[in-house]
This record gives sequence, structure tokens and C-alpha cells, in this order.
Amino acid sequence: MEVIINQEDGKTYVKLSGRLDTTNASAFQTDIEPLFALEDPDIELDCTDMEYTSSQGLRAFLMLQKSVTSHGGKLVMTNMKPQVREVFDITGFSTIINIK
Amino acid sequence: MTTRIVPIAGKTAEIIETVMASPDVPQDETLRFKIRLSVEEIAENIVNYAYNNGNGFVEITTTLDESGMLTISFKDAGVPFNPLEKEDPDITLSLDERPVGGLGIFICKKMMDSVSYVFEDGCNNFTMKINTRK
Repeated sequence: MEVIINQEDGKTYVKLSGRLDTTNASAFQTDIEPLFALEDPDIELDCTDMEYTSSQGLRAFLMLQKSVTSHGGKLVMTNMKPQVREVFDITGFSTIINIK
Repeated sequence: MTTRIVPIAGKTAEIIETVMASPDVPQDETLRFKIRLSVEEIAENIVNYAYNNGNGFVEITTTLDESGMLTISFKDAGVPFNPLEKEDPDITLSLDERPVGGLGIFICKKMMDSVSYVFEDGCNNFTMKINTRK
């Protein structure tokens, strides 16, 4: 799983690539740690190249959403592949995380 | 195909790749996604909770019958544990109320056509089935 974080005009763009699974979920958690520290989070997670996520990935996204909301910020996940989207749908995550 | 892995401590990825490499598992990408995800959630449970020290075995069996039904079974001699006894998470809860975690088995149940569990001869047996010709 590759994570590239870019800041531009007060917005934070995060490009996610690869598979998010049991082998790298804790590394991913560390990689996105800076997003939890943003004072006024306005985050876009670009999921174009995210191939897969297990429940451990969902856990990380839920924690991020909780953090962003508690900071009064915004989080959006974009261009999710259909099979990844299905995981978000069946777990009800599509209703608590903004997916475009 | 039957494969026995022992000891299993830290072997989640090996269990997943064992199943995915089985000739019984079809090449269709959508199916493989569902299978990989379901296997990962179960493997994670067995590796982390079946044995106190991770020193036990897991036996993985895959079969593909004539009708295209793929069966994947996991057998371990760890602490008796029926993952299907756990209540499904409430997926309608709001962000605030939503607990972190507890989704693994639920995802497997949703992705597969059927899942079952039986404790037999001192072993946990967890089985998942998916029709590969849908």
C-alpha cells in the first residue's frame, strides 16, 4: 500500500495505491498519522488505485473519519473501484463516510 | 486440495496465499476479491485467537464440485470458538455510535453464499462456500 500526501491551498490530497490488508494495515495507520494532527482537516482520499481493503483498512478509515469530524473538518473518498465500494456498502460505511 | 500449516503464528498472509494459489479457486477477478477478503478475515481470527501461543496448526481444504460450488474449510485444534455466534454489527449506527472493529466475520458472511461452523473431534471447523458460476 502506497500513501502519498500532498498539501495544496489548505486542502490535503492523499493518493492511495495497492492493497490494504493484514500485512500492511499497521504501517498504513502510521502513514496516515499526520492526517489526525491536522487542525482544520479538508481531506480528499484518491482511491483510483486502491485495489483492496480488508476490515483492518476499514478500521483505519473509520478512525480517520471520527477524527476529522471531531475537528469539524471534511473528508471525502473519490474514484473507488466497484469491488472496494461494495465492502463500504455492505458494512454501512458508505453512509458514514462521504464517497464520491 | 488440503494444506496443513504449522505453527501458524504470524502466518495470515501465508494462509491467504495458499488458498489463492489453489487450482480450485477460479481466475475471475471479482470472485477472487471476495474470496481473498473472506479468507483474510477468517485467517486473521485463527492466527490471532485460536492458540494461546500460535504453536498449533491450521488445515485448509478447498474443493470445487461439478456444479461450480467452491468450498473452503479451515480446521484448527485451538480454543473452541464459534465465530457465527457473534451478533452482526448494527450497520445503521451513526458515526459517533459506530464502534471501531468487529466487522471481519460479518464481511465474510456477506461475501460468501454460505458459512458454517462445527466443533468436532476437538477441532474448530469453519467452512465457507461460494458459487463460482453465478
